[in-house]
This record gives sequence, C-alpha cells and structure tokens, in this order.
Amino acid sequence: MAILEVNNLKKIYTTRFGGNQVQALSNVTFSVNGGEFVAIMGESGSGKTTLLNILASLDKPTSGEVMLNNKNIVSIKEKDIAKFRRDNLGFVFQDFNLLDTFSLKDNIFLPLVLSGKSPKEMDDRIKPISDKLEISSLLEKFPYEVSGGQKQRAAVARALITNPQLILADEPTGALDSRAADHLLNMFEDINNNGQTILMVTHSIKAASSAKRVLFIKDGAVFHQIYKASMTNEEMYQKISDTLTLIATGGER
Amino acid sequence: MKKSFYPKLAITNIRKNARTVVPFIITCILTIMMFFMMSSLCQNTGLNSMESGSQSLIVVLQLGTIVIGIFSVIFLFYTYSFLMKRRKKEFGLYNILGMDKKHIAKVISFETLFIGVFSMIVGLLGGVLFNKLIYMALIKLMHFNASFDFQLTSEPVVNTVILFTIIFILMLLNTLRQVHVSKPIELLRGGNTGEKEPKTKWVLAIVGLLCLGCGYYISLTTINPLQAMMLFFVAVILVIIGTYCLFTAGSIAILKLLRKNKNYYYKTKNFVSVSGMIYRMKQNAVGLANICILATMVLVMLSSTVSLYIGSEEVLNKMYPYDCSITTQGTVSDDIYNTKLKIANKALRDNNVTSSEPYRVRELGAYGVRSNNSFESKDLTDAYSADCAAIIVMPVSDYNNINGTNAALNDDQVLTYSSKTGYTGDTFTIDNTTFNVKEKLTHFEEISYLASQMMDTTYVIVKDISIFNQITGNNNTNGEVVIPDDKLKQYNMEQVFSFNMDGATTEEVNAVQKQIYNDYMDLDCGGYLSFKETSKADFYTIYGGLFFVGIFLGTLFIMATVLIIYYKQISEGYDDKERFKIMQKVGMSKHEIKKSINSQVLVVFFLPLIVAIIHIAFAFPVITRLLSVLALTNTVLYIICTIVSIVIFAVIYAIVYALTSKVYYKIVE
Repeated sequence: MAILEVNNLKKIYTTRFGGNQVQALSNVTFSVNGGEFVAIMGESGSGKTTLLNILASLDKPTSGEVMLNNKNIVSIKEKDIAKFRRDNLGFVFQDFNLLDTFSLKDNIFLPLVLSGKSPKEMDDRIKPISDKLEISSLLEKFPYEVSGGQKQRAAVARALITNPQLILADEPTGALDSRAADHLLNMFEDINNNGQTILMVTHSIKAASSAKRVLFIKDGAVFHQIYKASMTNEEMYQKISDTLTLIATGGER
Repeated sequence: MKKSFYPKLAITNIRKNARTVVPFIITCILTIMMFFMMSSLCQNTGLNSMESGSQSLIVVLQLGTIVIGIFSVIFLFYTYSFLMKRRKKEFGLYNILGMDKKHIAKVISFETLFIGVFSMIVGLLGGVLFNKLIYMALIKLMHFNASFDFQLTSEPVVNTVILFTIIFILMLLNTLRQVHVSKPIELLRGGNTGEKEPKTKWVLAIVGLLCLGCGYYISLTTINPLQAMMLFFVAVILVIIGTYCLFTAGSIAILKLLRKNKNYYYKTKNFVSVSGMIYRMKQNAVGLANICILATMVLVMLSSTVSLYIGSEEVLNKMYPYDCSITTQGTVSDDIYNTKLKIANKALRDNNVTSSEPYRVRELGAYGVRSNNSFESKDLTDAYSADCAAIIVMPVSDYNNINGTNAALNDDQVLTYSSKTGYTGDTFTIDNTTFNVKEKLTHFEEISYLASQMMDTTYVIVKDISIFNQITGNNNTNGEVVIPDDKLKQYNMEQVFSFNMDGATTEEVNAVQKQIYNDYMDLDCGGYLSFKETSKADFYTIYGGLFFVGIFLGTLFIMATVLIIYYKQISEGYDDKERFKIMQKVGMSKHEIKKSINSQVLVVFFLPLIVAIIHIAFAFPVITRLLSVLALTNTVLYIICTIVSIVIFAVIYAIVYALTSKVYYKIVE
C-alpha cells in the first residue's frame, strides 16, 4: 500500500523581480509503500533538496500533488501545517539541527512537548527508542558534549519518538565519519525492518546502498530507479555506482 | 590605487555594517556633544562671575563633567567591543582570503579613525551649536535675569578632543589585541562557539538575596534622617551588589528550578522559553543588571532633582519663614533685642520700606534623651547621635506673637508640640522640673525647621522666660535669665529677631539687607543673620544646577540604556535565527515561534525596568527622608515627580522596544 504518492510535481523558482525563472523540478512522480526504505540520489542542483522541502511541507510546489496517506499535503492550510508536520513526519538532517540550549533528552522531547503530551508519556516513549539507539546514558548531556554520531542518533530518536508515518532524512551521514555513518545506517536498516518507512536523500553511495530502493533524479525529474531485492549491500553499491557513472557520462537509460 | 585600498575598504565596511555602526556613531556624537557642553559650562566666565552660589554650582557642574567623562569611557568601550565581536567572522574571512593580521589591523585602524574623526567633528559642531541654548536653559533654570556674555574658549574643545582621542585609541588597541591573539578559524567561528550551560550558583544567589534584603530593610526602617544620610550609600551599594548577584545567579537558579518541575517545563509555552532564557541570562545577565542599575539611577536622579527644583519655593519658605532674621546666642536680654530693632528700623526707614511687626523668639534649647514624657538633657557635644532628641522651650508671649494666638499659662503649665513622636500622660518633665500639660498642640509654626526634621523635637511653651531659670537650675537672685556656668554644655539659649518686608521690590529688599548687615556687623556682638532673598538666589543656583545636571545625566543614561538594549536585541537576533529555523523544521508553527520569541524578548526587555521600579519603590522611604533633610517634605510632589519620571522613562523604553524588536524579527525571519 502506498504511503506516499508524488504526482507530477513541478517547482519553478522566480527571482524576486520576476526576471529569470529556474525550473527546479520539472515533473516528479513516484510513490513509496509502507515499510519501504527509499534513497533518492542525484547531483547537486538536480532538485533533491527542493523535493525534500516540498515533501516536508516547508515549501509549496508550483503544481502537482503530494499524497501522504491519501491526504494532499499541498492543500493543507498554513496554520495546520506545523501540526501536520510534527504528527506525521520525522526529520533527520545532515547538520543534526539539535538545539544547543536543550539536553539531548529535551531535544528528543521537543516534538512531543509541542503536541502537548504528558511528561509521563514522554518518559515511557523515550525509553525503548534511546535503548535501541544506544544513547540512554547520554540523555542528560548537551549537544556540545557528545560526538557527531551521538548527536545524529539523538536526532533520529527525535524523529522516531512521534511514531511518524514517514521519516525524511536529508544527507544523514553527511557530517559523520565512516564508522559513525555505518553505525547510523545499520540503525536505519533496523528501524526500517521494524516497519518504519524511511525516505532518504543522499549523495553517498554507501548510504544509498543500505536502502531497499534507490531513485535517481536528474534535471528535476526521476531518471531511473533500482530495487535492492535480494542483493547484498556490496552488490547494491556496485550497481548504484554503475548507474551513477552511466548518468554522469550521459548514456541512455 | 594601492594606497587608497584600505581607506576604501574601511568605508565599505562601515557602510555594510550600518545597522550596528550607525547607532554607535550617533552615540559617539551625542556623548562628545554632552561632554563638550558640560565642560564648556564649567569654564564659562559668566558663571564664574556670578554673585551667589556660583562656587557650588561650578562644583556641581564639574562633578557632572567628570561623571560624563568616566561614563563615556566605560560606555563607548563596552559598545565598541560589542560591535567588534559581531564582526569577528568578517575578519576571519579576510584572514583566510589572504590578508595578514597586519592588514586587518590597518583596515580596523582606518575604520576607527573615520568613525572617530567624523563623530568628533559633528559632535563638536553640534556642541558649539547647542551650547548657547543649554547655557540659556541653565540661566533660566537658576532664575537669573541677567544674561552674560557667552564666549567660546579653546579649553573645553581641547579637553574633549584629548579625552575622546584617548577613548578611541583604547578601543582600537583592544580590538587589535583581540584580532592579534585569535586564530583565523576562531575568527571565522566568531560568536557561535558552543555555549556551555551555566551552572547554578546558589551561594551567589543567596548572597544577592541577602544584600537586596538588607538594602531594602535599611531603606524601610531608617527613620532618623541623619542616619539615613549615612546608611543610604550602604544601602545603594548593597542593592547594586544584590542586583548583579540576582541577575546573574538568581535568575538561573529560578529558571533551573522551573525546569525541574516537569509539569510546568514540558508545556509548549514554557519549554522553549525556559531553556532559551537560561542561555539568554547567561549571556545577558550583566548587561541587564547594568541596564537595571542605570535605569534606577536615572529615575532616582530625575525624580529627586526635579522635585527639589519644583519644591524649592516651598522649601525656602519653610527654612526661612521670615524675610530677615537676626539670631544671637547665649542671651535673651531686652538690650540686644532693642539694638536689633533699632538697626532694622533705621534701615527700613532709610530705604522707604515698610515691614511687618517684628517677631521675637526667645528660646532655651537642649539635646538629650526623651523617654515618653520626660526629657533628660545631655552634653551638647554628644548631639547628633541616632536616638538624640531635642527640646525647645519658649515663653508663651513669643508663641502668641508668631502664631497669632493669645494663650495664657500659669507657672506650672505648658503647651507642647512634638515634631515626630508624641507621648502619653498629662505632665512633661525636663530634667528635674515637671510641668502640667495644658494642651498638646497639633499645629505649630516651627521656627527651627531643619532641627525638627533631623531629630525628634518637642516644643515646650512656658509662662515666661523666668521659667528658663527654673529649668536650668539657675538660682541667682537678680532675676537675670542666664544659664548657670556648670550647665553651659547642656543648654543653649538664643534670641531671634525677625520681620517681613511685604510688598518691597527685590532691589529695596537687597538694600535693606545690606544696610542691616553692615550695621549689625559693626556692633560685633556675635550671632548671625539670615536673609531669605539671598538664600533664594543660592537655592535656585544649587537646585537649578542639580536639576540641570540631573536632566543632562539622565539623558545620557537613557541613551546608554537604549544603545545597550539595541545591541542586545541585534546580537540575540543572530543567535536565535538558527535556533528558530530548527524549531520550525521539527514542527513548531510560525505562530508558536513568534509567541515564544515574544515572551522571551519581553522578559529580557522589561525585567530591568520592573526591577528598577521595585528598587525605587523600596528606596522611596529613605529618599523622602533624605529630601526632608533638604527641607522638602512635600511627599506628594515627590511621588508625582517619581511617577512622571517612571512614565516618561517607560514610554521611551517601550518605543525603543518597539523599534528594536522590529529589527530583531527582521533578523530572525
């Protein structure tokens, strides 16, 4: 069953005085099923970030629709968007985006506090998640006191704690060293195996090869996709890198 | 081209940083203007040649200049370093782009040079322009109708240039030092290095609370004005220490307690605000405490100088109930009185001035300890201790004379009036003599106003001056009223002769005064003279001068407050920008963010003002007592002045808030 359906998405940026028009997304159509782990790859300027911003309801498309659980998020009213976002989406960013004024625990609690949950319920929820992400002992620490990998795991915990329909991850391994990145990707796979749907935008072949499906975007449209199926991570890696070479050298699909 | 590169870059930089640099330049200009005007007033030959009170006025003005000078150094230095902190990133970039630290130093030097020269020129020009206006305002405040020649001397210009050149050089050196010791990466990172969470300093918080409590306690409980004068400064220092401690440690302690309370903390409204405030307070506590103390100072200064000035007429009438009085001590004999009368009458006749009936007051005074209805005199040299009380004994004839009554008393009967605390019982005992109290007066034209404000004074009205002998234990037989030799240290006797000159012009009054003064001094029989008209000029000179300096410094302090607030807002805006972006990403709506920002900004902004108002409320009793030493007992006037000052200040504050929060929101969004 499709949890996310993106249909004919188009985004044109117009410079402030209406001079130049830049087409960031020309026509994007794809869908994500419940429980999938999808990676979106593409070069800089291919429209990845624009796509993610629209999916995150941070930006509005020029035309097209985005259906999350059969609800068009494009048509949600401005004042309901924030609530919609925190109830249905979880975010993981490249630069963690943890607030330095909060301890890790409070950072993770942030979306719950915003939805008005009781302190008891928050405590109940954080326990299994922090155990799984191996940050239970760090909860009282502040972001500047822990490593990048630990910060990113806290950010993942923050994304998971609302039990979102979909987790959107933007280059989650971008700021991590390779060991921390591997650790994080393993956790993503674990989380995904437990049924969590994940959509990840990435540059890294390594990161993408842990996904179950990889979409390639070029010039604002979905160019190609690969299913992992029964491939190992290494085989997947090879296949992705072949595809990228193909795209880069301008070969036909 | 190469030569003009650095100056050009410097100008571009100033232009690019207009948002922060322009307010700084304006402040420089205004500070320079004020310092120049104040110091040129001090040097003004017109004021120096003034007849009355000019010395004290000059002292007041000189003190004002020194305060402005010191304040300018601290204030400009502080704001400039603030300015530079924001620009560290810029310097880091230059460094990475290949500019040496030497080159950066060159650019900064040029910038400082431009800012300094520009504000110096504009400030001095503005100073010269407004100098005359300020001078006229001062003359007007002091009730002078004579207009002096107004001349510009070079000394104030030189002083101003020297002082501010030094300030600018100090600022430059400090910035260069900062750039010099830092590494490019640090410069690039600038302000946003990971902030540690502040620790709770309970000891400091408690010390602050104690200091503040003691300060408030002193103000509330000090009844004796003399004590109040001494303790006032202790209280001020305690409150200042308390304010700093509470802003730095107390605020964080409270916020952390709030954070511990899960049910309170984990609410959308409080969650972001509380944790944000902890960091804000860490960075801003000292600044906020500064603002708070500045605001308190401005308000106290304005309200008291304004009410002193407005109330000076009233004070004058209280301290000098008569146009002219001549006091002699040690004797109450008729001879002296008649001599005075003769001198006065001659002067009045010579100048064609009519006067009121002369008033005669003979009094016996003593200091000592009063317990309820008995008074025991002490050595006069022991006076002015805290629990000291005074009595003034006078004959009923003099009492009737001043008050226009016609009371009559028997030998053992007295009328009494207490200036502060009353007593119970139908008798009153002075040393070994007990009198029956015929009436406790509720109204009394006090003759020694100041003394009765300073200490608990009881007026005792007796049948006639022969009772003086009875009180002092003088048993000579010739009926002469004198204090026996062994009691000279305990009692004091004096005779005051006074009269009013109704309807006389100022010139006539002055002429009479002059003649009486000369004639009386020729007699060389001791005592002193006081003339209301002369004192009036002194009054207006001093209170007018104080008022002037009060407003001047008040303006300067307000300016300082405004600028500190402005910079605070801007720098916080930059810090908060990232934070709020993140919050938006994790699902906080714009509306919620705005609400949270608003509540934090409001607290940070108005906390100092509110605390300042609390300080003033607690300072109120002690200040009214201090003012009463200066003979201003019109509490209503003082309350009105205080409230008006607070309202004006709050309005200015609110306007600044509106303006700066606009800038803040622009940055955050």
